[in-house]
Amino acid sequence: MKLNDISTSVPKKDHKGKVSGQLPYISDVKVENMVYGVLYRSPIAYGKISTIQLPNLPAGYEVVGSEQIPGPNYVKIIKEDQPIFASEWVNYIGEPILMLVGKELNTLYRLLNEVKIEFEEHQAIYTLEDAIYRKSESGVTMASYEFGESLEIISAIEHGAHQIIEEEYDTGYQEHVYLEPQGMLALYKDDEIIVQGSMQCLYYIKNALLSALACGEDEVRVIQSATGGGFGGKEEYPSMMACHVAVAARAVKKSVMLVYDRSEDMVVTTKRHPAKINYRTSLDKDGNILSMCVDLFLDAGANEGLSSVVLQRALLNSAGVYKIPHFHAKGFVLKTNTVPNGAFRGFGAPQSFAGIESHIGHLSKQAKIDPLEYKRKYLVKQGDPTITKGNFRDPVLMEEMIEDLLYSSDYKKKKEDFQRFNQQNQRYKKGMGTSLFLHGCGFTGSGERDHIKATVKLVKTKNDHVSLKISNSDMGQGILTTLCKIVAKELDISYEQVFYPDPDTKEVPDSGPTVASRTTMIVGKLLERAARKLKTQWLSGVEQEVEEHYIHREMIPWNEKTFTGDAYPAYSWGVNFVEVEVDTLTGNVRLEKVYANYEVGKVIDERIMKGQIDGGLAQGLAYGYLEKMTSKQGKIQQKSISDYGPPTSLDVVPIDSKVFDNPYTDGPYGAKGAGELTLIGGAPAVQSAIENALQTSFQQIPITPEVIINSLWTKEGEEG
Amino acid sequence: MAEKVTAYRFDRIDETLSQLNREDCAIIAGGTDVMVLHKSRRGVPPKFSKPIVFIDHLSELKQVYQTDKDLHIGACCTYTELLEHPLIPTPIKSAIKTIAAPAIRNRGTVGGNICNASPAGDMLPLLYVYNAKVLLRSVNGDRFVAISDFIQGPRRIQRLHNEIVTEIILPSVLEEGTHVIFEKVGNRNADAIAKVSFAGFMRINKERIEDIRFAFGAVGPTMIRSREIEKKLVGKTLPLADAEIDTIVAEFDKIIRPIDDQRSTAVYRKTVALNLLRYFLSLKQ
Repeated sequence: MKLNDISTSVPKKDHKGKVSGQLPYISDVKVENMVYGVLYRSPIAYGKISTIQLPNLPAGYEVVGSEQIPGPNYVKIIKEDQPIFASEWVNYIGEPILMLVGKELNTLYRLLNEVKIEFEEHQAIYTLEDAIYRKSESGVTMASYEFGESLEIISAIEHGAHQIIEEEYDTGYQEHVYLEPQGMLALYKDDEIIVQGSMQCLYYIKNALLSALACGEDEVRVIQSATGGGFGGKEEYPSMMACHVAVAARAVKKSVMLVYDRSEDMVVTTKRHPAKINYRTSLDKDGNILSMCVDLFLDAGANEGLSSVVLQRALLNSAGVYKIPHFHAKGFVLKTNTVPNGAFRGFGAPQSFAGIESHIGHLSKQAKIDPLEYKRKYLVKQGDPTITKGNFRDPVLMEEMIEDLLYSSDYKKKKEDFQRFNQQNQRYKKGMGTSLFLHGCGFTGSGERDHIKATVKLVKTKNDHVSLKISNSDMGQGILTTLCKIVAKELDISYEQVFYPDPDTKEVPDSGPTVASRTTMIVGKLLERAARKLKTQWLSGVEQEVEEHYIHREMIPWNEKTFTGDAYPAYSWGVNFVEVEVDTLTGNVRLEKVYANYEVGKVIDERIMKGQIDGGLAQGLAYGYLEKMTSKQGKIQQKSISDYGPPTSLDVVPIDSKVFDNPYTDGPYGAKGAGELTLIGGAPAVQSAIENALQTSFQQIPITPEVIINSLWTKEGEEG
Repeated sequence: MAEKVTAYRFDRIDETLSQLNREDCAIIAGGTDVMVLHKSRRGVPPKFSKPIVFIDHLSELKQVYQTDKDLHIGACCTYTELLEHPLIPTPIKSAIKTIAAPAIRNRGTVGGNICNASPAGDMLPLLYVYNAKVLLRSVNGDRFVAISDFIQGPRRIQRLHNEIVTEIILPSVLEEGTHVIFEKVGNRNADAIAKVSFAGFMRINKERIEDIRFAFGAVGPTMIRSREIEKKLVGKTLPLADAEIDTIVAEFDKIIRPIDDQRSTAVYRKTVALNLLRYFLSLKQ
């Protein structure tokens, strides 16, 4: 198939395997000489291991712990604070202490029950509130940043202001609920350990293994197996599992398989950081914003992981899509003795957008202006500075996208209709809400240049088949298809001639991790350039190979210390309108209509983009009102999908979406990032719709029925 | 090594009953609760301490029929079969539509829902307000038990080891002139376990309440129903005065004692249960 318009959909490369159920996932794999691993996990939130008593192990059953780690006992990520196996201190319930390996899972589970470990318990920090209170104690603050207008100037402005509005906003956990739980297999060979599994970042894992095994480049190899969803949950977490199976394989000289079941995955793997955000905004007498201060706190859980980078993105988005005069922000990553939090689609931005959209919405009430109208007054335009003194240098189509939705949703009339409906209906109340948002594409600042340094390779065979040699994972988002399309189109060959074999670190250079909405834009651009190069050298019937390296386009240089400069090379944009009906007797929220406009430069495949929109928005909406995860005394309470409650097909309505073209020079065919953007607007739009329906304000997400009922009824009862 | 499980699947009900008389067994109808209850961690089959008897295929247990105004529902009718059956009253069908999702509804049975005796059982509030009777059969014969006696607590039922539930009888359900509602409050619209559920039943004759019943689910160890409170409303005329409604709501306020758990809070459950009661009492004005 020759591709005319790059956006026209093609059959996905993995379509047949997935639809027929033939594609094996890691838990389907069985190899010779394979044993299973099960983990003994800390039952306490914080304390010191005093004694370990192991059961008598039958023949063929062994225990693996910190002593078996050839290298240092930490999972290499950023800081050295995450043990592979806790050996002295435990910092959260569920932290791995040792692993039992053997042939039969049944026997392993029995043995696991017979392991006796005694602890000296210490006072744990269970909540973010507690951590904020204790943030000056040693070890509690893991990272912090501050930037923006000087506090003296802000203080002077506040002094002359008509009014100062202070709000505190809370966001909860979010769990990825990828369809395929985490799983990793280490294949044992005399001279090599091959780690295979469900993952987003091959070289993160390889680097963690090089450190843990203290071995040479050729002694470990990482291969991605079919990955059933990631959403960030398979960004850094699989590195720990890879260390577990690789260390165990080395120790017992057998292949070791570690697969979590759903309830284990729900309680021990990383989640979206709960956050608390404080806003302090000074207004003039007409409700215009004079200054704004934002303090943002992230609950890291027991170790730092990627939290500092998550905080950076949260802070960089703390003013939303608005040009706020005299803006100041500061943020903290705080330790609690709870399950570590990590990467999740949006990476800190969803918390910030939920917060700022909520706050701006509440300010519009003060000013007695329709929220959308108020927001538009502050909307950034092309050429405006960012809050870090960078620049929005590309065209911004937000006004066009808003106008389009005002028209297609019949916004004004709808709002009036709803008002009339609400006056007549005692039980059900309808409302309409909006959200405006963006997403910075790729790594923050100079990350691509300084840390990632992506390289891609194209290899052509004698029969003129071209293979992509990159380290990026298709986890369901469709890059097997989209990246092949880019290469096929650029080479002007048929899509079927282009292949993207399962990435294997022995075969592929490091093109970076599959994160941060960077794959299409950054890796896709490199592939486009590589294909162009190959085309100029093309010799039919000859084996050929080309390589391309990342080139950084210098803009306003990013300075991580002062938090100034261009934080991102480009931004994708979005507008969501949501209509809801709230049952005031039960607090249940029913989505009625969802409208979404996005601008992602150029769509590489319409159907795949629609998949990102529908899936991302469903996940984002659910973050705002449906999905609820709580921790009690360091323990995650919801251990099953039904208790956690991600949306089913009966909870989501068809999403009326449109994508606007605005080609970006440094993206392939003009494409920018799209994967994370689609999640970000969901929660704030659903919050403003619920507020509109009930004519009230909320200071948190998720706005569960419990929260709604509490606001509608309990207070009344107390007063009465 | 998988452990062995003895399983029986007889062609006839009398053989099934004889076996149950000889040996204490775990009964599997649709298995949608039993399998979850006995499941092991990943990669290990479910564990049963007793032999298993399958009963879902027995045709005697899959009949739906009418005698006078009573409705008889075979205990092993699946939810899907009931949804498609013309005799099944609309409120029961709407309750069924809130249960899990089609795959579970194709397996799960009404008898199983009763015998699982979950505090959140989706069929139970309606069965309580319909004054359902459970028909039990053993080698010794049949006996009828009122559903409220049959279910004694969470997963505790009045079934002897040698008995199976064969039918659920809804007395006078096919009479005209009743108004029945069911509301399930879950965290989402499918595959959800009830946080609160409510069934209300009212028979009116010329604005006068002849019979009124309420049952609340997921707010106590089993369904909450109070015949004493119901009696206070019999003979009253509609619309009820606000003070009358307040009295009834206050009475239930005293006997509904829900708990906090991973799905919801006690405060929420109670508030919503009473909201739904008040709403039902205020209807038809």
